[in-house]
Amino acid sequence: MKKLVTVLALSAVALSACSSNSDNNKNTANTGAENGGKAASKITVWAWDPNFNIKAMNLAKDAYAATNKDLTVDIVENAQNDIVQKLNTGMSSGTTKGLPNIVLIEDYRAQSFLQAYPDMFYDLSSVINPKDFADYKLGPTSVDGKYYGVPFDSGVAGLYVRTDYLEKAGYTINDLQDITWDQYIDIGKKVKEATGKDWISLDPNDLGIIRMMIQSAGSWYLNEDGKTPNIANNEAMKEAFEVYKKMMDANIVKIHSDWSQFVANYNNGDAASVPTGNWFTPSITAEASQSGKWAIAPMPKLAKTPNSVHATNLGGSSWYVLNVPGKEQAAEFLKATLGSNVDLYQKLVTDVGAIGTYKPATAGEAYTAPNEFFGGQKIVQDFAKWTNEIPSVNYGMHTYAIEDILVVEMQNYLNGKKIDDVLKDAQAQADSSVK
Amino acid sequence: MSKAKAMNIKAKTNAIGWSFIAIAVIMICAFYFYPMIKALMLSFQTGTGTNLHYVGGDNYARLFKDQTFITALKNTFIFLIIQVPIMIVLAMFISVLLNDSKLKLKGFFRTAIFLPAVTSLVAYSVIFKYLFGNDGLINSLLTNLHLISAPIQWITDPFWAKITIIIAITWRWTGYNMIFYLSALQNIDNSIYEAARIDGASAFRQFSQITVPLLKPIILFTSITSTIGTLQLFDEVMNITKGGPGNSTMTLSQYIYNLSFKYTPDFGYAATVSYGVVILIVIFSILQFKLAGDKNG
Repeated sequence: MKKLVTVLALSAVALSACSSNSDNNKNTANTGAENGGKAASKITVWAWDPNFNIKAMNLAKDAYAATNKDLTVDIVENAQNDIVQKLNTGMSSGTTKGLPNIVLIEDYRAQSFLQAYPDMFYDLSSVINPKDFADYKLGPTSVDGKYYGVPFDSGVAGLYVRTDYLEKAGYTINDLQDITWDQYIDIGKKVKEATGKDWISLDPNDLGIIRMMIQSAGSWYLNEDGKTPNIANNEAMKEAFEVYKKMMDANIVKIHSDWSQFVANYNNGDAASVPTGNWFTPSITAEASQSGKWAIAPMPKLAKTPNSVHATNLGGSSWYVLNVPGKEQAAEFLKATLGSNVDLYQKLVTDVGAIGTYKPATAGEAYTAPNEFFGGQKIVQDFAKWTNEIPSVNYGMHTYAIEDILVVEMQNYLNGKKIDDVLKDAQAQADSSVK
Repeated sequence: MSKAKAMNIKAKTNAIGWSFIAIAVIMICAFYFYPMIKALMLSFQTGTGTNLHYVGGDNYARLFKDQTFITALKNTFIFLIIQVPIMIVLAMFISVLLNDSKLKLKGFFRTAIFLPAVTSLVAYSVIFKYLFGNDGLINSLLTNLHLISAPIQWITDPFWAKITIIIAITWRWTGYNMIFYLSALQNIDNSIYEAARIDGASAFRQFSQITVPLLKPIILFTSITSTIGTLQLFDEVMNITKGGPGNSTMTLSQYIYNLSFKYTPDFGYAATVSYGVVILIVIFSILQFKLAGDKNG
């Protein structure tokens, strides 16, 4: 009997140890909340890309520290996929422990988080002045008229091109102004003939180029409501698919399967042009030996789709404050830095190469400086100009779910399936998988 | 009086016995059965993130109409039907070679062949991705040997991507299975072979009439674990092809991951897909037991 008592006592201790642990957790959370009520002395930030977002946040931190010494800002670098996973698991578990105060979320994914976890984000409507930011960034960062994000980098896209290869084919950068995608392909064929170099490097699993094409016409995978797929009757998408196939058939495409191969294709000089977001600049300039050989032209547009313009967007992200203790401090921090500090935005351009979407900053001198790597072109000014022309679309909740369906149908299309069937089938699949 | 005492002692020993396993039972219930039941309930719900609501069997009905799920299932079967037999035969073949008493440096070969099984799944996948890249080592090797004229699209072509995955998992898991065969072979009494030789049985005859029948329980075991492993295939696909190009290497586990983390999270439907995997594993295991006959398993 004695033994039994001992065993029971031991297991009771073991169990109570577990429960007291969870009590402890609750206590710390509570004290955290109390502290938050007065003044949290530390906030945590999650972001990805050490050369871009993390660097930018560090600049913001330094700028803030100059006037507010009490707040410690802990910036944690995580891969974007890891952040997405951690947010999903953390937010759906119902406990806020372990979540950061400020987090960076890609615009394409923003609505899926804001709508899937409605109570987890802190309303910043009173913190930022939405009119100060580029219009197209406001859709993804807001729900029902409430602004939850501080818009950050512009994903404004341009056509990076090797001018030395162009010259060998008898073209100059001026021939790439205001062109259509069809002309873009024709020039590519000539360049390939003259230099033997591929014109563009594409990943069959990433339809970023399709996204850029359709957004230039104010269209998206989803309708304006952000929920119902818009594929079968989407003229812009139909033309984008046709252009994509034409590009593949023209034998001017180098295929890559991951980011490092993609960058290597350009750094090695194996591919001559890249239509992509301006955040690609640091990857181009990383290859110092190519200085002076690059230029940036406006994006080509769709020829048959009437409202297509020479400006579009790829990627880009914004900062969000989570509804956890310390949110007031986090909001205050963002307001004082990325929400209003014009000087900080100049520094972001000169030190990081990050082009923000804060309108008052575009008049600053950093925005008008010429860039020697790009043959003296005032690239930031050009990008800032195109930023204002980007058609605003609602990315909605299902960008990546639909993209995966389109990737498969694109393969079918390249293998000879009829375009109308391709889009119809994609629409049917999308309808059944997103609800 | 004495009878009551005996009862008492019996109850006491029982209680002690139960209390010993109580902790394990509680832990298993808390960390296995409770999540399983929760996941089962989750599989009857749908919605984004935390906005879940019950939809009854809708999720299960959706499985049968879901093109991605069907493709993932097909791919998994292709991997299963092609890769598992190759690997099992290869593992058996190597283990028989290694079991040869005349073989020198046995320890070295055994270690070399088993070594892939101790590497990290992610690390080896990443290395394979670079080996099989368009400009990777394998392609340069083949072109320099003039075996091929243009690089093979190992990762970006739907057909070759499957081959790459099959090569990768075969490399990783053959050694692991081989160890099971080797240990089983060492348990086969040498006198059986001796008797067979005296009776004039050829090496092949010995293999097919003695080795294989005696290895049957191990063949069953390795094919079940390999089948389960293939149904849960994730790390390799995630790191080498991400399920692409298109959905040509998409596996069920990768699809579950995408549903939960890549797309707007639908944990309910993701749980449904994982229960689909559970059902498949159960069916396959029963099938394999039945096919193997006997009660050897």
